[in-house]
Amino acid sequence: MGSNTPELLQFLFSGLTAGSIYALIAVSLVIVYKVSLLICFAQGEFFVIGALTMVTLVSKGVPMPLAFPMAVVVSAGLGAAVERVLIRPLRNSGVGMLIVMTVAISLALRGSAMLIWGKESHVLPPFSSGHPINILGATLQPQVLWIVGITCVVLVAIWLFFEKTASGIALRACAENPLGASLMGISTGRATFFSWAWGSAIGALAGCAVSPLLFMQYTSGVMPMVKGFIAMSIGGLESIAGAVVAGYLLGIAEAYTIGLVSSQFSDPLVFTILILVLLLRPNGLFGGAKRRDI
Amino acid sequence: MKRNLIVALVVWVGALLIWAGPAKAADTYKIGGIFPLTGSLSWLGEYKKKGAELKVELINKAGGVNGHKLELISYDDQSSPETASGAAQRLVSKDQVVAMIGTASVPVSAAVAAIGAKNKIPVIVGSGYEVDAAKEPFLFNSAHRTDFAVARPYQYWQSKGITKVALLMPIGSLGELGSALGRKYAPTYGITIVGEEKFDIKAPDVTAQLAKLRTLNPQAVFSFCTGEPAALVARNMDQMGMKIPVLVSHGNANPGFLKFTAGLSLPILVPAGRSALPEAIPDSDPCKKVIVDFSRAHQQKYGEPANYYSAEMVDAVDLIAAGLKATGSDDPVKLRDAIEKIRGFVGMQGIFNFSPTDHHGTVLSDMMVITPKDGKWTLLLK
Repeated sequence: MGSNTPELLQFLFSGLTAGSIYALIAVSLVIVYKVSLLICFAQGEFFVIGALTMVTLVSKGVPMPLAFPMAVVVSAGLGAAVERVLIRPLRNSGVGMLIVMTVAISLALRGSAMLIWGKESHVLPPFSSGHPINILGATLQPQVLWIVGITCVVLVAIWLFFEKTASGIALRACAENPLGASLMGISTGRATFFSWAWGSAIGALAGCAVSPLLFMQYTSGVMPMVKGFIAMSIGGLESIAGAVVAGYLLGIAEAYTIGLVSSQFSDPLVFTILILVLLLRPNGLFGGAKRRDI
Repeated sequence: MKRNLIVALVVWVGALLIWAGPAKAADTYKIGGIFPLTGSLSWLGEYKKKGAELKVELINKAGGVNGHKLELISYDDQSSPETASGAAQRLVSKDQVVAMIGTASVPVSAAVAAIGAKNKIPVIVGSGYEVDAAKEPFLFNSAHRTDFAVARPYQYWQSKGITKVALLMPIGSLGELGSALGRKYAPTYGITIVGEEKFDIKAPDVTAQLAKLRTLNPQAVFSFCTGEPAALVARNMDQMGMKIPVLVSHGNANPGFLKFTAGLSLPILVPAGRSALPEAIPDSDPCKKVIVDFSRAHQQKYGEPANYYSAEMVDAVDLIAAGLKATGSDDPVKLRDAIEKIRGFVGMQGIFNFSPTDHHGTVLSDMMVITPKDGKWTLLLK
C-alpha cells in the first residue's frame, strides 16, 4: 500500500473538490425545501449567475474580497425578486405547480445568463495565489481549502440560525405546520421570501467559490444541480448536515470508483447509492422517522 | 368567340409570365449554408458563417461567377442532426440551391450528406467526417482529416524522442475515435501506448485519472477533447506537477482556448491549419497570400482575423465557385463532376487535389502543430 499512497490520496483530493460543489448546492436546495417544502430546480442557475456576476465584477477591477459578497448579495436579491413576482402568486396552488414553475424559472434564468454573458466560458482566478499544496506526493489546489472552509462557515452559520434564533425557528415552523405558524403570528409568505433569498445566496456563494476550479458558462449549473439534488435526497431532504455529508460522500465515492475501477462506473455508482438509501433509509442518512401526511 | 379567344390568350400569356417569374429572378447561384448557430457547437457556427458570408461578398464584389452573383442562404442546425436534416431538405426543395456547405460535427455532416446524396446536390462539409468518395460521390470535406490531427503531432513527438504516451479520453464517441486513432498511428511513429483512462467531460476534476496514469511514467499525454475539458486536463496536469506535453484536439485553435490555458506552464500541443497562425507561414508558400488577404478583409469587416474554422467554409465557397466557373452552368450534377476534377487549387486549408477516390483534397503536411505561449500561439511544427 505504501507505494500507492500518492494515488490513493490524490483520489481523496479529487473527491473533495467535486464533493465541495455537490455539498454546497445541496445545502442551498435544503434551505428552500426546509421552509417551503419545495425543490427549487433553479438553484443551478443561481450558482451560475453568482459566479458570472463575480467574474464580471473582478474583470471590472473590483477586488476579490469585495466582489465575492457583492455577487452573493446580487443573487440573493434576484432570488427574493423571483419569489415575490413568480412564486408568491402561486402560493395557493399545489406543490406540483410550484415545481413546474421553478423549472420554468431555471430555463428563463439560463437563457438570460446566455444573453448577458454570451455562450463562451469565463475564467475566475483562484482566491489566493500560490502553488498547489503537495502532501505525500499528492497535490491539492489551495482553492479547495477555501471551499471546504467556506462550507464549514456556512454550515455553522445556518445551523445557528435555524436552531438558535427566533426567526430561524419561525422559518422552520412554517414548514412543519403553516397554519399553526400563521396562527402564532408568523408570516409564512415572508418566511418563503427569506428562504429564497437565503437559498439563492448560498447557491451563488457555491458558484463563486468553485468557479476558479471550473470554466463557467451559462449551462454550467446543470451538472451540479443534478448531483446536488441527489446529495440532498441521500442526506434526507431537510438535513443540512446530511446534505453536506452526502455531497462529500458522493464526490469521494466517485473519485475512488474512477481511480480504482473505471470512470464508466462512477454514474451508476451514484445512482446505486441513491437507490440503496431510498430503499433502506427512506428518510435519508440524517432524516428523522417523522411523517407529514397525517 | 373572338373575344373569348383574346381573353384565353391573355390568361395564357399572364400565366406564362407568372410561371416564368421566379425562374427569371433566379439570376443568382444559390448556395445553402447549414451552421450550428445555437447548441453545443455554437462557438464554431459563428466563425464558419461569418467566413462563408464574407467570401460570398468578396466573390460578388469581384464580379461574381460566370456573370452571376452568389447568394448564401443560411440556416441554424442547432448542433443537431435532425434539425440539420430538415434545414438541408428545405434548402433543396424550397430554396433550390445548387450546392450546400457547412456543419461542424460528424453526425450533423452525415445528416446533411444524406439529403445531398438523395437529391444529387453536391455538399462540402467542414468537419471530422471521413468521406468515402466511392460510396458518397456528392460529398466533399474541406476540413483536414481527423487522422492528420493525430499523425502530425506524433511525427513531432517522434522527432523529440517521445516514445511512451498515455491516453486520457472523454467518455463518448469523440474519445473512442481519439483512442482508436491514437493506437492506430502509434506504431508508425515508434510510440508505445502505456495506458488509457477515461473521463466524463462534465467532471470538475480529472486528477484521479491522471494520478493513475502517472504511475505508468508516460512521456506525454494525448487527450482528444475540445474546449473546457481540454483546458481542465492541462490545468490538472499543471497542478499535479506533470510538466510533460499534452496533445489535445484540433478544435482548440481559437482565442478562447488561449484564455482558458493562460498561466499554465506545461506544453499544450494543438494541431491546426496554416490559417491559425499566418505569421508562421513562409512567403514561398502559395497559401500565404490567400490567407493573409482574406484575413485582412475579415479583420476589416468583423474586427477579428479569420481562423482555422472560418477557413474551412471560405474554401468550401471558393471550391464551389471554382466548380461553377468550370462547368459554366448551375446543374448540380455537372457541378459535382467539376468539383471532383479540381486539382492544384490554392485555398486557405492547403492545396486541394480532388479525385474520384479523394474528396478531402488536402494532405498531412497541411496540418501544423501550435502551442499557447505567453497568451499567443507559437509554432512547434510546420
